[in-house]
Amino acid sequence: MIKKWLIEMGSPPLFYKWSTKILPWLFISAMLILGIGLFWGLLFAPTDYKQGDVYRILYIHVPSAILGQSIFMFMAFCGFINVIWRAKISGMMLKSAAPIGVSFTLLALVTGSIWGKPTWGTWWVWDARLTSTLILFFIYAALIGLHSTIDDKTKADRAVSILSIVGLAIIPVIKKSVDWWQTLHQPSTFTITSSPSMSPDMYQPLLLCLIGFYLFFALLLTLNLRNEILERERTKNWVKQLLGGVG
Amino acid sequence: MHSSIFDSLSIILKRDLMIAFRRSSTYITPLIFFLIVVTFFPLALGPQESLLSSLAPGVIWIAALLASLLAVETIFSEDFRDGTLDDFFISLEPSFILVFAKVMIHWLITGLPILVASSIAAIILYLPLDSFIPMLLSLLLGTSFMSLLGALGAALALGKSAILSAIIVLPFSVPTLLMGTSVITSSLNNQDFSGFLMIMGAMLALGIPGLCLLTVEALLLNYE
Amino acid sequence: MLPNLKVENLSCVRSDKAIFDEVSFDVLPGQNIEIIGSNGSGKTTLLRTLLGLITQDKGEIVWLDDAGKYHNYRTFECLYQGHQLGIKNLLTVFENLNITKHAKGMSQEDIYKHLERVGLSNVNEFASNISVGQRKRIAMAKWLLKEFKIYFIDEPFSALDDTATLLIEKLIKELNAKGCSFVITGHRPSGIEATRVEI
Repeated sequence: MIKKWLIEMGSPPLFYKWSTKILPWLFISAMLILGIGLFWGLLFAPTDYKQGDVYRILYIHVPSAILGQSIFMFMAFCGFINVIWRAKISGMMLKSAAPIGVSFTLLALVTGSIWGKPTWGTWWVWDARLTSTLILFFIYAALIGLHSTIDDKTKADRAVSILSIVGLAIIPVIKKSVDWWQTLHQPSTFTITSSPSMSPDMYQPLLLCLIGFYLFFALLLTLNLRNEILERERTKNWVKQLLGGVG
Repeated sequence: MHSSIFDSLSIILKRDLMIAFRRSSTYITPLIFFLIVVTFFPLALGPQESLLSSLAPGVIWIAALLASLLAVETIFSEDFRDGTLDDFFISLEPSFILVFAKVMIHWLITGLPILVASSIAAIILYLPLDSFIPMLLSLLLGTSFMSLLGALGAALALGKSAILSAIIVLPFSVPTLLMGTSVITSSLNNQDFSGFLMIMGAMLALGIPGLCLLTVEALLLNYE
Repeated sequence: MLPNLKVENLSCVRSDKAIFDEVSFDVLPGQNIEIIGSNGSGKTTLLRTLLGLITQDKGEIVWLDDAGKYHNYRTFECLYQGHQLGIKNLLTVFENLNITKHAKGMSQEDIYKHLERVGLSNVNEFASNISVGQRKRIAMAKWLLKEFKIYFIDEPFSALDDTATLLIEKLIKELNAKGCSFVITGHRPSGIEATRVEI
């Protein structure tokens, strides 16, 4: 039954119809959970005795960093399906997810920077995690850039699918090599973004924020994908009926 | 069948190397570019020996990376335009082996000159003699991997601007850069650098089949 | 005799329009297929699909192997000549023929004999310095290097003078007699004996 549903979802019009139904629920749940999580973490969680109130930025920084990486893995997964099975919708999913992923990565970098200033005194520190995140940002940029240069969008999807597979394979290597690079040049390892040892009072809102971020991603992805479907299929009848109301 | 693969490979090598040597700019340009970039660092930062020798691993590696990606755009573009590339997919031999032949050729006309020129770079940047062998080994493994990555970039960006092929694979060259410089830096500190070389070797071993296969996929996209 | 290649209901769709639809034919040894269509009608795409450069959206392509069974993949070597002819500018006429996989083991005299056949024996230039007609003749000489079961040629008769046209027709006829088939494309029917397929 799941297989049948998956095959059905592979058809853009069917996906569009199905997503129209779940969209309101997705919106409500995302906004609710994200809102509660952020509100709780930013305002009500206990103050950290070491870092004071600044550490609260972690409630945005950590989920966005995790999302940035998860979205890339999702993109590579879509890319893999696109290359092997040529399912057009997986290519469109990849394309729709990319701007969201790059935005979360950028958010992680900016919030990491904001966290660093009061904690370490500088707007940027070359610690292993931030450095890896910066390189991930460039990988995202490469993918988005490549996609925009190819005019045939289905072909562009396939090209980016191939690149995302390479990206997935190389990201663990990047992380490991950045770790080594860190220890080689700075004997004392430190991470600016290491989460302070967390009590449940701090941990729970973080978890909620993370779930909220994931739901938010699902929401944005669905919206983006719907737009992408409409644009690519705009010459087809089902789109014209949907938008124009002209039978 | 084995002899036929060997025949195809040797034909591609012979033909492309003959053409490369008839157009000397093919192998001279990466070499000169490498040396110019290396020269710019002392010019920009000052000629003190202590400064330059500490920067030498990074400078040599950055120049090698950029120079090897410079010639990447032409790996497939000419063959695609004059129809020679079609043979890669028409012949019965596995296409990724033929693509690997092109990668080897790219390395021979880019990586190898860089390897040779690196000794000059090492001298003018005051790199100690003891670190020459580690430097050459790291460059050997690293520039080979760059040719692999560059081939994929060239295939994906076939027909687009020359620099796009380089830019889309540049972030993926970070591990090579970090490992390569670590080899030389470790040797400067009299530490064991063999671990880094082994990682680079492993990347090459996995990269050859993986990246060549993906490059074949990327090349086929251009026929749609 | 069994056909070396069978094509059934082949169709390719791009941007919701069928480039070609329901194309079927068999290629028997020694017999030719001529694909006829106007500019942009998908002749090149069809040729590329037959050879596996492009994946079809519908339909089957099967190839005969030596044991008499059909497979979805190519079982024998073919020659493909696209619009671009596959000629290297920085090689001489002779080298363009000599430095190819199929010329392995051939003596220099054999190669010169082929060049003579197409009227290029006295041309000792780099391929960048010769005319378009002469480039087409180099491509023709390549046909002679080996007897392929099927030759796939994209628009062999375009931009040719009468002598060259007669030469091609003669070559095709000779190779047909040896059991070789040609699958060619063109704007209008040519002078060779072939089954016409219109797209």
